[in-house]
Amino acid sequence: MPGTSERIARLLDEGMAAIAAARGESDLLDAKGRFFGKKGAVSAILKGVAALPADERRAVGELANRARAGLESAFDARLAEIREKERLRSEGRERIDVTLPGRGPMPGHRHPVSQTMSDIISVFRRLGFSVHGGPDVEKDYYNFEALNFPPEHPARDMQDTFYVESTAGDLVLRTHTSPIQIRTMERMKPPVRIIAPGTVYRSDSDITHSPMFHQVEGLAVDRDITMADLKGLLTEFCRMTFGPGKPLRFRPSYFPFTEPSAEVDIRCVICGGSGCRVCKESGWLEILGAGMVDPAVFGFVGYDPEEYAGFAFGMGVERIAMLRHGISDIRLFFENDIRFLSQF
Amino acid sequence: MKIPYSWLKEFVDTRLSPAQVQEALTMAGVEVSSCRFLGEGLDSVVTARIIEMRPHPDADRLSLCKVTDGSTTFGIVCGAKNMKAGDAVALAKIGARLPNGVEIKKAKIRGQASEGMLCSEQELKLAEASAGIMILPEDTDPGKPLADALGLSDWLLEVEITPNRGDCLSVLGVAREIASITGEKVVLPGVPFPEEGEPIGDLVRIDVSDPDLCPRYTARAISGVTIAPSPDWMRRRLALCGIRPINNIVDVTNYLLLEVGQPMHAFDLDRLRGSRIDVRAPKETLTFTTLDGAERKIDPGMLLIRDAEGPVAVAGVMGGENSEVVDGTTRVVFESAHFSPPSIRRTAKRLGLSSEASYRFERGVDPAGTVYAADRAVSLLSRFAPLSVAKGVIDVGGGNVKPRTVPFRPDRATRIMGRVYAPEACAEIFGRLGFPVSDDGTGTWNVTVPTNRFDIEREIDLVEEVARLSGYDSIPTTYPESKAPEFSVDDRSVDVQERAFDFLRGRGFSQAVNFSFVAGRTWERLGALLGFSPADAVRVVNPISDDTTLMRPHLLTGLLSNAADNVRRFVDDVRLYESGKAFGKSYAEGHFEEPRLGVILCGKRLPGDWSGADAPADFFDMKGVVEPLLRHLCASPVHVVPTRLRPFFEEGKAADILRDGEAVGWFGAIRRELLDSFELTGPVFYAEIRLAKAAASPPPPGRYAPLPKFPPVFRDVACVFPAGVPVGDVLAMVRVVSPEVEEAAVFDIFTGEKIGEGNKSVGIRVKLQPLDRTLTDAEVHSIHSKIVNLLENRFGGKIRTS
Repeated sequence: MPGTSERIARLLDEGMAAIAAARGESDLLDAKGRFFGKKGAVSAILKGVAALPADERRAVGELANRARAGLESAFDARLAEIREKERLRSEGRERIDVTLPGRGPMPGHRHPVSQTMSDIISVFRRLGFSVHGGPDVEKDYYNFEALNFPPEHPARDMQDTFYVESTAGDLVLRTHTSPIQIRTMERMKPPVRIIAPGTVYRSDSDITHSPMFHQVEGLAVDRDITMADLKGLLTEFCRMTFGPGKPLRFRPSYFPFTEPSAEVDIRCVICGGSGCRVCKESGWLEILGAGMVDPAVFGFVGYDPEEYAGFAFGMGVERIAMLRHGISDIRLFFENDIRFLSQF
Repeated sequence: MKIPYSWLKEFVDTRLSPAQVQEALTMAGVEVSSCRFLGEGLDSVVTARIIEMRPHPDADRLSLCKVTDGSTTFGIVCGAKNMKAGDAVALAKIGARLPNGVEIKKAKIRGQASEGMLCSEQELKLAEASAGIMILPEDTDPGKPLADALGLSDWLLEVEITPNRGDCLSVLGVAREIASITGEKVVLPGVPFPEEGEPIGDLVRIDVSDPDLCPRYTARAISGVTIAPSPDWMRRRLALCGIRPINNIVDVTNYLLLEVGQPMHAFDLDRLRGSRIDVRAPKETLTFTTLDGAERKIDPGMLLIRDAEGPVAVAGVMGGENSEVVDGTTRVVFESAHFSPPSIRRTAKRLGLSSEASYRFERGVDPAGTVYAADRAVSLLSRFAPLSVAKGVIDVGGGNVKPRTVPFRPDRATRIMGRVYAPEACAEIFGRLGFPVSDDGTGTWNVTVPTNRFDIEREIDLVEEVARLSGYDSIPTTYPESKAPEFSVDDRSVDVQERAFDFLRGRGFSQAVNFSFVAGRTWERLGALLGFSPADAVRVVNPISDDTTLMRPHLLTGLLSNAADNVRRFVDDVRLYESGKAFGKSYAEGHFEEPRLGVILCGKRLPGDWSGADAPADFFDMKGVVEPLLRHLCASPVHVVPTRLRPFFEEGKAADILRDGEAVGWFGAIRRELLDSFELTGPVFYAEIRLAKAAASPPPPGRYAPLPKFPPVFRDVACVFPAGVPVGDVLAMVRVVSPEVEEAAVFDIFTGEKIGEGNKSVGIRVKLQPLDRTLTDAEVHSIHSKIVNLLENRFGGKIRTS
């Protein structure tokens, strides 16, 4: 039946056009339904093939099958095309800008003095020292007298003292953390191994002196402690704090509560020893004071200096923080400018 | 103290260069902080003489000078007018680079060639200011390096003397120290002078009525004196060491103070009433005018030098106007005494008057050196000009000066220092120090210590001498034997703080450190707003400024000013915390100090966030930091309750944090008036936690409870309450309605017309979690009814049905 084959050819053209024109998946499925789905026109012809005269059956069947196959492959291709387009479109819509900042607070910053103090404490705690504190408003006895600063001794001039109103007139703002040595030794018997961090006060103010600053004090008392032990401990501390390869220099000095006393210098961390403004051309930076506990101090706390020996050391935390971070004006520490704090 | 190297060399002819002296002294404990070549920048500056001087043809203010250095003549254009032909001047030749940095080049000034420059003292950095060019003494030979002509081919050492080493406060003392290091010998200059006057006893009578305060008093007298300037070399040395030259008599006393460390005083003998000196502390209070013109109140116990009628000097501190040497003085008594250090220090402190003399007496002046100093003064003066020296010396207490002996065990040094010091090595060091040793074979030596060494009284002092002169470099490094460390209360405080710092850092807070002292005037001005009476504050007696008069009673004002400062610098989002002590007085304990943690928050809720617009932080942002912080510090359970006790907070926006009924902290919105006074606008939230109280006694470790095996049931209840009902209380009560209620949480809260003025709607989600079964509908219904009942009857709520 020539009519049938013409119809098949027309359906094929129409179907192909519908597939090509489909804009989305539903258009496409709609076209499939109309032409080659179960109830589609081509399928209907195929279903009718059996009823055709035998001589037409073969030709029509072949033609219709070919048309369906052509439509199916066009459908598949178009479907893939539409899905790809869809995917591309939705991807564009859902893709996020991963370079935008994340949500939630950004971390704050530790104060460099507090961080330095904390690092110093943790070094000594690892070396077997435990932390002890004491009052900021201190008795003259603990701040001076029991540390072997007699009342009319010029050594008292080494520290410009703030006095605090009190009825007995014997209160000062501690000028160093050393009174904690006395308070601790009064409380415990040797062996003693303590560090005493704290706030201290001296009436002095310029770019390297602040009326309030921080110190860490250390004290070890035992039967056989020597100055060589002190040297070893401080060498280890400096290695852990400033890194390896920085030689130390111990120089004789004077503190009323230690004898022999030493000042400890480290090879200038700025110029490496060739001389610069920071080390005043000496190649060395003074970082701490130390010495063997003076027998007079043991006398005040009831330790027998023939039986026990001890060493003590003390350092200014701000000074170490200034060296570590290259800060030249101590006053910056107390301004609490967030732009400053954010650098650490 | 400043010491010229050349002066040291007069006492110890050391082989050490100035730089080596600096290093050696520093490493022996006498720190030399600088060693400066005085002729720095004077390389091409020479002495010259002006041959001719005439005006510049084209410039009124300039002169043309012809100067000679003895061989060459130079034409110089000069702007100064203070010189004349024949004057000796300082000529900077072409190529000189002056101490002030100026480089001298050949120049044409207004058409006239200038072949160098005539220098002023200011340009040579020899003076702070100068009126014209430097005119040298008439007898100056031209053509010599200026440094030589001025004695500047020398080094100036700046020596820092620790308070124990009063003996080093002189050229002689430092020279002795060098000798102790190198083993070289100190040589004292001879003190020849003719002693041809009347016997001194006929001129003046001296008594020491308070020998405890004045163990030795030595005097020499001279007559026929003409007051005049000292020789240039002496004036120059005094000036280099920072002492202003005055006249020959005063200068020689100052010269000896610097040279041998003996403070001396010169009295005009004709002004001493009754020709008499009595060293005595008054029993009554009196006033006295010291030679600086100040009237001083003298209290009983302050040692005075008196003549027949009254005081003429404050002993060891400062002389008096009434007896000082004046232009017409012809007869002088020199005092060279030893005063007791504590007495001088007390007097100087009480008078608020510290002098070069008192500084040395406080630290100890060698009682054996008084006669030498007096003799040296007279000897020097008799070299300058003719005068007559009275026969003899008055020396009260001279026989009492005896060196002390100190026991020393050589093995003690080894024991303390941790390195071996051979007995011979110790003996050798004492030899260099000039400490005679006697060893009777018992193992304990007797070491004789000279009277200038006030710092050596005990064995440990000798150990130090051995150690420092052997060099600390030679001490090995060993490690103290390790012991199990204790874990102290303060170890725990440090750990708690670190936990707090880490937590706050994670929540975006940075750490501040403020002074513990605050400005009393802020407290007086804001008064009640700060919630602490200034009368209860710990006060500093001698504050360094008005900003440091009180010890802070809490951390609020410091953090508030930090917030204000940052906002002023365009940093609007402020999140800061501070850990520090608060101070106060209490009747029971005198004063207290307590560790606190202050936290301040203002600006945006989430700084830098791009999605949540610019929502400002509010009370609950602060609560959302403080509550979990306390939990993190193991400080739960804590309860947050409204408070009216903190006047620095807005009413109704303030809470106390209770632990076991005690306030361990508080937080809230800072009150408007307070913000105004700190020039802050936006709302500011503040919390302060009493760290030791909050985190005292960590709670026992958590107990395990079996995990539920049956599904939970959730029920939502929406209820309208009067606005004043505390939701926290509601939730707490809901949680105990039945054991099956595991959690009750707010999921929604709002106010508005819809629910009526003065009301709030609260949505509560309840989680029911049975441990041993699945809840039946009837059970759920029953619990729900109980909750509804509670909300309505206990809290006046009205269940909303949507």
